[in-house]
Amino acid sequence: MEFFRQTNIDFLKYRWWAIGASWALILVGLFTIFVQKGLKFGIDFSGGTAITLRFADRPDIDRLRTFLDSAQLGEVGIQRYEEAEKNEVLVRVQQQAHEGRDVVAEVLRALRQGLQGPTDPNKIDLNTEGRATLAARLTAADPDHLVGRTDVTPADTYAQAAERIIARRSELGLFRTPADVASTAGVSDGIKAWMQANTAAGPFVLLSAENVGPQVGRDLQKKAILAVVWSSIGMLTYIALRFRSVPFGLGAIVATVHDLLITIGLLALFGREFNLIVVAALLTLVGYSVNDTVVVYDRVRENLKTPKKEPLYSVINRSINQTLSRTVLTSGATMLVVIALFFLGGEVLNTFALTLMIGIIVGTYSSIYVAAAIVVIWKDFQSGRKLAVVPAAAPVPAPVKPAPAAPTGPIVPSAAPRPSGKKKQRRR
Amino acid sequence: MGKKLRWRLLVILLVLLGAVGGYVLIGYQHAQKEWTGPGGPTFKDALKKGIKLGLDLRGGIHLVLQVKTADAVKAERDDAVETLKNETKDANLGPVELPTDTTFIVGVTEKTDQAKVEDVAKRFLPDWTYSTGGGRWTFALKDVARRALEDSAVSQAVETIRNRIDEFGVSEPLIAREGSDRILVQLPGIDDPKRVKDLIKNTAFLELSLVEAGPSTQAALVGKYPGGKVPDELKLLEGKPLPGERERTYYIVRRQAVITGRDLKNARPTQNQMGAHSINFFLTATGSQKFGAATGANIGRHLAIVLDNKVQSAPNIKDRITEQGVIEGSFSPEEANDLALVLRAGALPAGLTYLEERTVGPSLGLDSIRKGVTASVVGAVLVFVAVVVYYRRAGWNAVLALILNAILLLSAMALFEATLTLPGIAGFILTIGMAVDSNVLIFERIREELRGGRAPRAAIENGFAKAWSTIIDTHATIIISALFLFQFGTGPVKGFAVTLIIGLVISMFTAVFVSHTIFELEYGRRSHIDTISI
Repeated sequence: MEFFRQTNIDFLKYRWWAIGASWALILVGLFTIFVQKGLKFGIDFSGGTAITLRFADRPDIDRLRTFLDSAQLGEVGIQRYEEAEKNEVLVRVQQQAHEGRDVVAEVLRALRQGLQGPTDPNKIDLNTEGRATLAARLTAADPDHLVGRTDVTPADTYAQAAERIIARRSELGLFRTPADVASTAGVSDGIKAWMQANTAAGPFVLLSAENVGPQVGRDLQKKAILAVVWSSIGMLTYIALRFRSVPFGLGAIVATVHDLLITIGLLALFGREFNLIVVAALLTLVGYSVNDTVVVYDRVRENLKTPKKEPLYSVINRSINQTLSRTVLTSGATMLVVIALFFLGGEVLNTFALTLMIGIIVGTYSSIYVAAAIVVIWKDFQSGRKLAVVPAAAPVPAPVKPAPAAPTGPIVPSAAPRPSGKKKQRRR
Repeated sequence: MGKKLRWRLLVILLVLLGAVGGYVLIGYQHAQKEWTGPGGPTFKDALKKGIKLGLDLRGGIHLVLQVKTADAVKAERDDAVETLKNETKDANLGPVELPTDTTFIVGVTEKTDQAKVEDVAKRFLPDWTYSTGGGRWTFALKDVARRALEDSAVSQAVETIRNRIDEFGVSEPLIAREGSDRILVQLPGIDDPKRVKDLIKNTAFLELSLVEAGPSTQAALVGKYPGGKVPDELKLLEGKPLPGERERTYYIVRRQAVITGRDLKNARPTQNQMGAHSINFFLTATGSQKFGAATGANIGRHLAIVLDNKVQSAPNIKDRITEQGVIEGSFSPEEANDLALVLRAGALPAGLTYLEERTVGPSLGLDSIRKGVTASVVGAVLVFVAVVVYYRRAGWNAVLALILNAILLLSAMALFEATLTLPGIAGFILTIGMAVDSNVLIFERIREELRGGRAPRAAIENGFAKAWSTIIDTHATIIISALFLFQFGTGPVKGFAVTLIIGLVISMFTAVFVSHTIFELEYGRRSHIDTISI
């Protein structure tokens, strides 16, 4: 099967249209960010608290909100999380002015009290207590009368029982009543009876809780920016060294910035939240976009070596056509994976996958219409102004690097980089 | 079969065997370490345990704490003031002022024996610089000494937290110093944030100080002093609220502690004959000396046990205590146990604040694994189908290479003890998507060569040769971005970078070396090939 058999599409003909489209997308993004809604930062960057809870029954968000308002935690956001039938909720609390407040504990207390009313303080909440607490309580109560027996260690035995009970809770989602504990395999009747008498099933299970202080938020912001900046610099340095040409390097830079701007803008438009994982996706997309650009550039470089009088415009067009099949196929394969992640990977990976989806499309497009087009535009501009070409990069022919050889194949003659000055000479 | 081909096959076989064998071996090791029941881990356990899971998949607690190093510096300053006062008792010092954490000023009058002050400063305060003039002596802590103090405060805090966590019985805890004053704590498999935080929180700054007044209300205590200002050598502290009482109680205690956490050697919960829970504690040699002198001189007075600047209790000194003593009070068994733990692990030389706290419950981790694995399997199958449909026989070649890539990636992660996180799973599957790129580059080249009229075998050789430099370039760019991600990323994101880097390096081997070998295996034997299925 083949999608593209020796195509000969004049991609570059539409370069000005493409540039217009790119600018339109970038401006939409910038408008969203700076005028409309701004970037939504996750607690990784803004600081604050995020808690995910799983409820026994479909939670009434408005009711939960009234409970939390009474806790006086400042701005609180509550939204559904994951699939609706899972009854999961994400609670977000703004950064507290006072240090040392245990926001997670306060939120849990407020919700529990609101939903359940006063509870017996002596009963442990089966759904929010952890393994270690349960084990400690069991050991202290010793329902199986193990203390004094020589064949078992009470603490270990009870710890094992606690572990089984908590694992059972994970299987069930949560315990609706203390009687549910009876369905745990490998737990003695004595323990079950004790649990029945001394525990209560709270209305929710704590899935995760995150609390990020303002200092860490700032640090993470700085780190994220540094990571994006440095990896961009790193890759562009690589391209500069590998291709030894100003327009190529410039094309790659502009294409990268272009992809980042459009992707970030679209994420803002979709109201997606920026967190560390999204930054990871952005960095991956920078790598991916440059990767795509490099494939086209590699082909252009190779085609420029054939001693034929052919205008750069058509060399680049031909190169794009030659790599088109690969570009579409690779993007398609990666896209399949990302789509699987988008639909099946769960809430945490959802924005990550969306970022890459946008990035793959934009990155593929930009390697043709930004990276390659800029090389053409740059040369047009140069010849238009009839400049005597002073090759800015590598005026002295660089030593020809031997190409890395394929494991057993012959040395590849085409891979040896040539000084860019030569290309420009041919162009004149 | 050519000699070269046989050699290539041998390399692939050895790599595969090494990878699988290594993975299973490491899996056994991990499983053995965690094994508690009778017998030993099975082969299935070994397969499950090969790769370390990150906190986001395994469940657990991640904390970043900051050591308030200023506390240690202040304690040192208070210590210096006290030393100076004690050693110059008959020198008639003027009032002492404490303008900053690292300086103090001693006033002098006509009666002050200044030679004595200088002598004491020289002998007992080597870490302080001093100057005189304007009717006062100004002491400043040397920078070197301050840095050393801060540094040791952090190291000691790390050590203390480690001891506490060990008591808690966590497998594979991570307690590490980060930067100048931060501590990273990671406790996999722990789902009890409250309990852990209580334990670490109580690992606070511990002091035992003599009570001057209290318990009483704030107003009553402060009112005793002229102008409502508590003198510098004393401090007002809040007491732990008594159960059932709403009014807060306060104490006035001496600023200079009798002993601090540093002087404690051990502590354990005990029960007396009446069945009441109490704590037995033991002191170090220097601690015994200090404590003996202070308790001997103050029998009948109250001694405040101060944790995190809060008075936990203020028992009566019944006798002179040197090496060991008992703290009695109305403790529940859990409280006695926890207080003993606090004392035993030694309290910190400086307080702590929480900068970051992340808890992942066990059910979320399981859920994430299930989803990540489902998405990966579906993604991989989609890619495999696409490649086989598009490239037919050669597509199978690519699928083989990709599967090998996945196996090698898993075992490399086990060998490097890399941690798999949820974004790491995404990285894993993304690697599969990107590794296909190399195969696509090669296959498209081969097709081009075939179209150009080259004989099949030459087309294969040329295809591989010409795609090579592009493959290097594409891999290099992504690896560069992943390296920076690794450098600047934290936790889960780091896991993503690691998976991506390892996966890409492996894909150079599988897509080029392995695929080439499979082609050779398929077409190399025949003397003449008319077509290749690509």
